[in-house]
Formats: sequence, C-alpha cells, structure tokens
Amino acid sequence: MKFGLFYELQLPKPYDADQWHPDQEHRIVKEALEQIELADRLGFDYIFIVEHHFLEEYSHSSAPEVFLAAASQRTRNMRLGHGIVLMPPPYNHPARVAERIAMLDLVSDGRVEFGTGESSSEMEMGGFGVRREEKKAMWEEATRECLRMMTEVPYPGYEGSYFAMPSRNVIPKPLQKPHPPVWVAASRRETTMVAARLGIGSLGFGFETPDEARERVEEYYRLIREECFPIGKAINPALAVLSVLSCFDSDEEAIAKGLEGAQFFSYSLGYYYSPFTGGAHRPGRVNLYHQFKDTPPEQRWGALAEWFRGFAGYRGGFGEEPQDEVGRALWRAAQRGGCIGTPEFVRETLLRYEQAHLDVMLFVAQCGARKHEDIMDSLYRFGTKVLPEFKERHEQHQRWRQEQLAPVDYPIVSSI
Amino acid sequence: MAGKVDRIQDPELRASLQAAQESLRKGDYRDVVQRSAEAFVELLRRRPELLQGQEGVRRVFMFPRLGVDLVVSPGSPPTLKYERERFSFSEAVTYLEFATEQLLQAGA
Repeated sequence: MKFGLFYELQLPKPYDADQWHPDQEHRIVKEALEQIELADRLGFDYIFIVEHHFLEEYSHSSAPEVFLAAASQRTRNMRLGHGIVLMPPPYNHPARVAERIAMLDLVSDGRVEFGTGESSSEMEMGGFGVRREEKKAMWEEATRECLRMMTEVPYPGYEGSYFAMPSRNVIPKPLQKPHPPVWVAASRRETTMVAARLGIGSLGFGFETPDEARERVEEYYRLIREECFPIGKAINPALAVLSVLSCFDSDEEAIAKGLEGAQFFSYSLGYYYSPFTGGAHRPGRVNLYHQFKDTPPEQRWGALAEWFRGFAGYRGGFGEEPQDEVGRALWRAAQRGGCIGTPEFVRETLLRYEQAHLDVMLFVAQCGARKHEDIMDSLYRFGTKVLPEFKERHEQHQRWRQEQLAPVDYPIVSSI
Repeated sequence: MAGKVDRIQDPELRASLQAAQESLRKGDYRDVVQRSAEAFVELLRRRPELLQGQEGVRRVFMFPRLGVDLVVSPGSPPTLKYERERFSFSEAVTYLEFATEQLLQAGA
C-alpha cells in the first residue's frame, strides 16, 4: 500500500471575527507547501489537492494547478495529483485542462496524476451553471475528449452534447505516454464501478471502512478484468481511499491535537453537501467555525456523518459502549478516529486496509484549525515510525496486483 | 467469475438486470437505465417497508438523479419520471450498479 496527503486547504474563520485575518490565506498555502516538502523527504508517495470553488472555510483550493506547480519545484519524488479537476466544461474547457495537465507533467518531470471529477455541491454547480442531472455525462464527455487531445495529432475536433471545437493540435503533450494516470473522484460506490469499467483509478472520497474497501477492491478488479472499456489510451487500475491522520506518542495527545480538525472537516463537508444547508449558504456572511464550536460535541461530525462513516473511523452514534470486544474496539475507534492515535494504533488500522489490498491510503492531515507545527510533527512521526514497514511490503502488493491484471490486454500507466 | 447481478435471487428482477448488463455491452444505454431504474422501483412496490424510516429516506435520497427521477408521494406507489431520452455510459453504469446493490441489500 502506498501513502499520500490529501489537501482541501481548509481555513476556518477566527471564532470571534466576521472575516479572516489578512495574512491567513497566504500562511495556509505556505505551510501546506512546507508540509509537502517534509512528506516528500519522508517517503510519502502522493499529494492530491482538490479543485473547489466558493466553499469558504471548507476549501480554499480553487487553482490546484498553480499549487501543484509550486509543489513540483519543492519535491523530488512525490507524485502530484489533481484530486480532482472539475471536468464539466462550464468549469474548465477540456482543451485548457489538457494544456495545463501536460505543462504540469513537463515541469514536474512526469509526476502528474490526472484526477477528474464532476462536483456535487450546490454552491459550485450553481455558481458555474452546471445542472446536477447532466454533470456526470459532462464529466464523461469532457474526460474522454481531453485524453484524445493529449494523444492525437491533430485533435480532429468535436461536436458533442456539452462542448464543441474545431480541429486543433493541442500542445504541449504530456511527458508520460500516452497520458498520465487517470482517476475519478468516487464519493459513491457506483462511481468506483464506473471507474473500473472505464479503466481508471477510483479516488474514494466516501471514506470506506476496511470491510467496505475489501468488497470494493474485489469487485473493482473483477470489472477491470472482465468488463472494461477504457476511456483513454491506457488504463490506471488503482483504488485510493481517505482517512485522517494525527499520529502522536500517546492517544491523548493525538486526540487533543487532531480530533477537532477531523470533526471540522466532516462538519463543513456536511454543511456544503447537505441538500438542506448547502444551497442556502450566504456567501461571505457565515462563520462556519463559530457555528461548529457552538455545536455540542456529539453533533460535531455534522449533517452527513452517517454517509461518511469510514472517515476517521467514524461509525455513527455516541451511545453506550458496546459490551463485545470487537464492537467496543470499533466504538472507541469512532471516538478518536481511524488514524488518530499512537503509531501502533495507526499501524493496526492500516494493516486492515493493506490486507484488503487497497492501493493507496490518502491522509487528510491539514484540516480545521490544526496547528502547522502539530501537522509537521505528526507527519514526521508517521513517516519515521509507521511508513517504512509498509513500504517494504509494497512489493508483495505489486505481485498480487500483477496476478489480478494478468488477463488484461490494455496498456497500463500507473504509479502503484 | 459471476458478477453481482447473478447473485440476485428473484428470477424476474435478476433477469431484468441481466438484460440491462447485455444492453450495456451493446451500447444501448437508455435501455440499461430504464431496466435498472424499473427493477429498483419494482422492488419498492413489492416491499413498501423499504421506504419507511431513516433508511427509507436515505434510499430515496441516494437514487441517482441523472435524467430519471424517482417520485415518491404518500399513499401512492413510487414511479419514475424520465427527463430525457439519451444517456451516457457512465450514467447507465450508475443506475445499473445502484439497482444491483439495492436489490442485493434488500435480499431480493
């Protein structure tokens, strides 16, 4: 199993102010770049960063290609992932996406992971005029054509349902041939299966539990073998899921420095993605962090907590502790998060994903009002005390993967 | 290796989704969407208790609204409302996977 960091660039407002302090956005970007530099030196394999628009406090990453370009000059080995590019043409014209991905691939010496997605928050779709019922068809059309633009000389032109353009040679072309590994954001199980059938990686933003991950891995690789119709010129068989990381020498310290950030991540996500609150947001006039802090602790996982029950080990409910051993262990994990704990606790949790043959675990480390120093400390501890043994075993996973993919005839471009 | 559709016990619903799978291979995405959505609605008509409580709300909420809408009103059986005729591959797979998973979860 490989490991990466996943960034939203979260920026809660000060509890007692209407707006951020003038230097806060600058500071969070510089700190994130420092964290990524450290992670690269420690041997983390990936950084993925989102593209979101207008989701105040939840994500201030609306131009990930700029951030990744900066990261490419501060890191040596780490893969640079879009997690994801919003593909519906009202957000980004497919030719502009092809150009930007190719240029990033060139400046990074071929380290790009091309994550794609369709968006689902009302703030974003409404802001750019994307209709919910058409966003998936838009994603598919734009992604397919974008990959043709990266590989065909010239691109012959296209008259589609959602965009049209005449024949042009879209340049530059990416360094990785025929194109960088392609992924799709999969917050629903169905999208993971779409990914398998189109031969692309699944970035599981649904926060699967290890058991769910195991089921999805098996079905995903079966579909890759038996029912795959590649959307690009090469396939990227790969499954990644998210968890939250806070790794310290004691559970108490990990909880004290990491739990609230994880809860704010879940709370703010629930706020923007809930059908009841997401569309009703008053731009520039809400202090989400203030609301969060005033919420009783048992409700701080937010409106959609049940839908994201794998996240941070959360399984829903703060009722009475179960009596049976397994139930009690899971209940306790729920209180502190799947990867919030000592290196030993984090290792035990990750072993279950490794046994499920997950390809990549992505950590949300920067979230809520966590302090930069604590994030660096946690990354260092994980990178020195947990990561090495998983890296040593990765060869075994690669062998398992080769067996799974033995019957597949398509070219494979993958960093797993 | 058999796919998940083959694990559906109910012969009528299984046959419907097997036909949807076949249509997916042939590129008839509208047929995939129609057969998958109707199999799910048929399940709800036979098992109205699946629409009750928090799980029922969640089931309705999670129905993919990608050109076909699920209409649920008190006292009436659920119905489908088609908003367009053409569907993409990924939309077809989404409806097929959703229906398959829901039927299996319900023990159909």
